[in-house]
Amino acid sequence: MNELFPIILDVSSYILILVLVALGLMIVFGMMGVINMAHGELFMIGAYVMVALQDVGLPFWAGILLAPVIVGFLGLLIEAALIRHIYLRPLDTILATWGLSIALKQLVVLTFGPESQSVTLPVDGSLEIGAFSYPLYRLILMASSVLLIGATFWLFTRTDFGLMARAVIARPATAATLGIDTRRMYRWSFVIGTALAGLAGALVAPIISVDPQMGLGYLVPGFLSILVGGAGPLAGVLVGGAVVGGVNNLLAVWISPVAAMITVYVIAILIIRLKPEGIMGGRRAK
Amino acid sequence: MRNNLVALLIFAALAASPLVIGSYWTGQLTAYLVYGLLAISLSLVWGYGGILCFGQAMFFGIGGYIMAVLTKGMILPDLTSSYIGLLAAMAGAALFALALGYFLFAGRGISGAYLAIITLAITLVLERLMNNWYALGGYNGLLNVPPIKLTFFGASFELWDRLPTFYAVLGVVTVVYFGTSLLLKSAYGLKLTASRTHPDRLSSLGYSVLSIRLSVFALSAAIAGLAGAIFVTLDGFASPTLIGFTLSTEVLIWVAIGGKEMLLAAFLGAILTRTAESWLSEIFGNYWILILGLTFMVSVVLLPKGLLATPLEWLTKGKGKRSG
Repeated sequence: MNELFPIILDVSSYILILVLVALGLMIVFGMMGVINMAHGELFMIGAYVMVALQDVGLPFWAGILLAPVIVGFLGLLIEAALIRHIYLRPLDTILATWGLSIALKQLVVLTFGPESQSVTLPVDGSLEIGAFSYPLYRLILMASSVLLIGATFWLFTRTDFGLMARAVIARPATAATLGIDTRRMYRWSFVIGTALAGLAGALVAPIISVDPQMGLGYLVPGFLSILVGGAGPLAGVLVGGAVVGGVNNLLAVWISPVAAMITVYVIAILIIRLKPEGIMGGRRAK
Repeated sequence: MRNNLVALLIFAALAASPLVIGSYWTGQLTAYLVYGLLAISLSLVWGYGGILCFGQAMFFGIGGYIMAVLTKGMILPDLTSSYIGLLAAMAGAALFALALGYFLFAGRGISGAYLAIITLAITLVLERLMNNWYALGGYNGLLNVPPIKLTFFGASFELWDRLPTFYAVLGVVTVVYFGTSLLLKSAYGLKLTASRTHPDRLSSLGYSVLSIRLSVFALSAAIAGLAGAIFVTLDGFASPTLIGFTLSTEVLIWVAIGGKEMLLAAFLGAILTRTAESWLSEIFGNYWILILGLTFMVSVVLLPKGLLATPLEWLTKGKGKRSG
């Protein structure tokens, strides 16, 4: 039990981070049909905000507040300069955001260098109950992720904004006729999606090594989670993230990281192929 | 007709270029021609077939590894003929594409964005697999792949020196280019266009969309496999990078910048981007990749047909006419 418990916690914290990343992707994909290949880089930039603030000497918690603001603002710029012009060409958004991801990655290499950086843990202690002990920060990380995921769900299911957003997803033309400014909804959904990525990157920065290539390692599992879970309902992300993240981490512990990665990708591809609407059903993407 | 004339002029210029550019650049250009071949294969499947493949390098890598394994005599020590290696590389890549294509396209099938994500994931899996497949060299790859050995009527000749290698590769590229162009002008090309733009109408006319998709996927894979097989003999080694993610996305960028709906533009896109890269990366250093990424982004948004295809189309078709 004492051996199993940390593993379960590790797996859960990975799943929660994956869900955070995937949730941002999903909002953008579900809402606008835009595949944002630069999402992993926005996640990475969130982590680099922490690196930069640490260099300046600002406290960790200031970074947690600033990272989503900075990355969200970057999202606003990206939406206004790039995405807005290619809404109607979904396949081209893959390519254009791919070019953007290459450029962002290289920009970070030029600013911070290609080597990996580390962010020191804001809280050092661990929680100890009997013989069992677990790093405190990881528990804080998990709690914050749960709160964030909950807040996002609340935003999209319980508020006026969420109602309008879901109207735009379901019937864009009808929603526009009823006076909803769809372009504005697209813009703010994109900003929320990117801010989530930035915050996820900032939160996870102390427990991973931060390097310019880290985005891809979350982007592809993030997409697979969405497609496995189903691109329709928000809850699909939870299921997809749990399948992709859970299988990956458990197999990495039991067999090897390589076997885990290959198995997860193959399983995900099979599920997507055999059930394109995802485990949770929902409409099929265009 | 004018289309072929422009292409002929370009290939003639390529054939004459070793006179001007010297030995080092001839060697470089040989490699770029092979990349151009890969770009042709992607243009065929993506621009004409409408299948956005984010993992075109997997076929390149499969061809490369098959060539390396066979000509090094790792399976059959007596059978190391380059011809058999090249044929097996093409056949192997095509068979893999058929199997993968059947899995992806049969029945309800996968298309569009889902296809891009899945092919990307498959490439990542294959790259990881090759990195850990120790019988095939693992991370280090296979070294000492022999150069291509041409034998005809008992005489044999190794493609070792730069100039003969260049012309042999140029010959292959020319044959593939004009062969593919002819094929695209035939009834098959018409069906291919229809399978991209109006698959439902095509199937209601009694054609099998699946078999058209499978055939173009396999043909494109065979060309990519051929390119990979030639490539490993140039440098003498096959490594997991051939099969992987980086090359897959690079070829996508060349083809998008050049123009995916025009074989010639895609081919030149690869050659010119590589040439620009080796010149400009010296001048701009690390900024080059930044410039490349931004150029790619801007060309997708502003010139979805491609940076090169727009002027080339004007040259080949004249004003006012559209390509079919």
